[in-house]
Amino acid sequence: MGFEQVLQKTWRDNLLFSVLVELTYRCNLDCFFCYNDLGLRGEPLRTDQYLDFFAELSDLQVLNLTLSGGEPLAHPDFLKLGACARELGFVVRVKSNGHALRGEMARRVRDEVDPFLIEVSLHGATAATHDRQTRVPGSFDRLLANLREMLGLGLRVKLNSTMTRWNEGEIEGMMALADGLGLPLQLDPEVTPRDDGDAEPLSIAPSREGLGRLFALQAERAGSGAAAVSVAREGDEGIVPVPLAKHCGAGSAGIAVDPYGNVYPCVQWRRPVGNLHRQSIREIWSASAGLREVRELTARAKEVVDAHGAAGPLLNFCPGLAATHTGDPLSVYPDALRRAEVLGEVLEQEKKRVLLPVVP
Amino acid sequence: MTFGAAFLVHPDLFPARRGGETWGAQAVTINLPGGPYRFAGLAPAQVEAVRARFGAYIKGMGDAGAAVESLVFRMAEEEVREIDTRGWEYGLDLDAAPGAVRLAGMRLAGRLDWRPGLAGSLWTPDGGSESFAGIFENFFRVLTAYRLLEQGGLLVHGAAVAAGGRSLLALGRSGAGKTTFARLALARGAEVLSDDLNALRRTGGGTVVEKLPFTGDLGDSASPAGPLPLAALLRLEKSPHDELVPLGRAEGVGLLLACSPYVNVDPHRREALLANLAALLPAAGDPPAWALRFTLGGDCWPILERQCLRSTPAAS
Amino acid sequence: MPALDSGSILRPARDLRFRRIDDEAVVVRQRAGEVLVMNETAARLLELADGRTSVAEWVEVLAAEYEIDRQALEQDILAFAADLAAEGMLELAPPPEEEESRGV
Repeated sequence: MGFEQVLQKTWRDNLLFSVLVELTYRCNLDCFFCYNDLGLRGEPLRTDQYLDFFAELSDLQVLNLTLSGGEPLAHPDFLKLGACARELGFVVRVKSNGHALRGEMARRVRDEVDPFLIEVSLHGATAATHDRQTRVPGSFDRLLANLREMLGLGLRVKLNSTMTRWNEGEIEGMMALADGLGLPLQLDPEVTPRDDGDAEPLSIAPSREGLGRLFALQAERAGSGAAAVSVAREGDEGIVPVPLAKHCGAGSAGIAVDPYGNVYPCVQWRRPVGNLHRQSIREIWSASAGLREVRELTARAKEVVDAHGAAGPLLNFCPGLAATHTGDPLSVYPDALRRAEVLGEVLEQEKKRVLLPVVP
Repeated sequence: MTFGAAFLVHPDLFPARRGGETWGAQAVTINLPGGPYRFAGLAPAQVEAVRARFGAYIKGMGDAGAAVESLVFRMAEEEVREIDTRGWEYGLDLDAAPGAVRLAGMRLAGRLDWRPGLAGSLWTPDGGSESFAGIFENFFRVLTAYRLLEQGGLLVHGAAVAAGGRSLLALGRSGAGKTTFARLALARGAEVLSDDLNALRRTGGGTVVEKLPFTGDLGDSASPAGPLPLAALLRLEKSPHDELVPLGRAEGVGLLLACSPYVNVDPHRREALLANLAALLPAAGDPPAWALRFTLGGDCWPILERQCLRSTPAAS
Repeated sequence: MPALDSGSILRPARDLRFRRIDDEAVVVRQRAGEVLVMNETAARLLELADGRTSVAEWVEVLAAEYEIDRQALEQDILAFAADLAAEGMLELAPPPEEEESRGV
């Protein structure tokens, strides 16, 4: 059996496999389009609660544990939690802005947490653009220096970038930068509303032309044998699309947890299905009515996408985003339609280009 | 040295935005010049500590409209440096930018952000107690300084005393005799507003002084008082004789500039500060500024009464 | 790596992460960035390789589970473990703490 079949099984049989934990909403950068709901309040999970939670996840055979935020390193017990995750045998990913990953801290992350991957956000190919988005002057230069330091330490790093109106002119530059460092780059073509529904980030959503160029460049690279630049979004990690009765693994193979212990089906789908202050993850996983609904909705989402025929997969439909955009997890939001349209056009162009030499 | 490194273990992780986990769900609103100031995200023990220090200035519930809002967030003990305070002079670490000010101090990290209105954020490992009151006040002083600045006023480091419904503001570098002067005035029946920090504002009737309940050696910080017309600015100088020497307007402006803590080292708000100083001292003699040369054993008060408190008509 | 025998004590390589999904093991080799799906036997051996129990003890456990001839089982296990060790998935655990010699 291959890995894809294993993933299918986790989706089908509701085997929890990937967990994303937002340790804190504190952050040492101030990205304009950050999706965190900073107005959310509650009792933060204590470190001992995290340790119990992680142990339970390990018993449940969860493989992927992503430490996110805010800036996860800003959680005072980040290293302790990371070391515990390592001891419990998780494949640990750290989603960081990279700003504090240098010197002693970077070395300790390597030695104590030994993450499978550190995913660092890149906001542009120039200091002007990167710093404009992070709203912290000097953050670009710091990031480049820190990336080199991390690579020197032998840390495994991936760059993530969300394409925006501000950086869409620098896609090639970001690719060149990633190539120069020998790092993979994942571009997310979707700016999303904040988790509280605030649509302000959408004011810098990429243009139609920008999207088209991104998809074209991606196709070009795929054809040239250059390092792949993947186009995916937050929440897709460890969840490979496979033919199945469900549209995605949200709530079936994956969950996300916020700093206050609220459990969601996915980092993109902020529909609470339980809280770790009140229930164990085992209880939530087996008995949450909210999760049952979500699993049902992911099956219905598949029907919605399938109804779009060949254009369905191009939508990159996300029920969580649909819920944030429109309030209905089954409603195909305009951004998804636009994406499918642009991607369809690019694929059509590519097809012509590929066919050209063959036709006399 | 890197900003914050003297106080924080990880200055690289200094918060860049108003986010994090608050201490609790309680809030207090404090009525100080420039306010009201509302502090939310507090734990019950923190509210107690704030009440103990600012009780008389705390407003009732539900009247916090248009308040300057601050949030109080958690920070871990392990994030703050232990400081040996023996023989050490405490000074906050400040870092100003056009739209924000960062501050670091003992057991605290703070931000003031203009988005576009002023909002404060305080991170501390203290969940309550006497030391929380101190941390809170250190943050609150900076917040007040910037709030007064944006409202055309000034937080002034100086001793203010009042007599006959008018006030004198005595300024000078550390050791110039502010507390000595305040004691002297107190002995002569004047009231000490605060011998450390006071607010200065311009009203239709002239420049006024308002006391701030921040900890000083003298002054009854427990009872609020309204604004009092400023009869004179005094530059304190210890001397073998008691005498008053008139100062020009420029000297008065320079004196205030030197005594406006936090904001006078902010390169991004220099124009605003100079504009406020010009408005607070719009003309020579409004209000008058003097150099007060005074003896420790002598008595300068009669001179002040004669020259400052009686000679100019009270602004009303 | 020296030849394995029934007294060998093994543990998973430091960069190995694995979980059991039903009767299989999903194995991630962090350094290589590689994901493998391994069969029931491999899953079982990875679980047993805790850095404390010897191959002989594994044989006891597995003999009880599978009702197979012990000698044949031991040979199979040693061969499989040697394969996993050659692949860099299992490694010999460092010698136990010298507690006894210190009389603690």
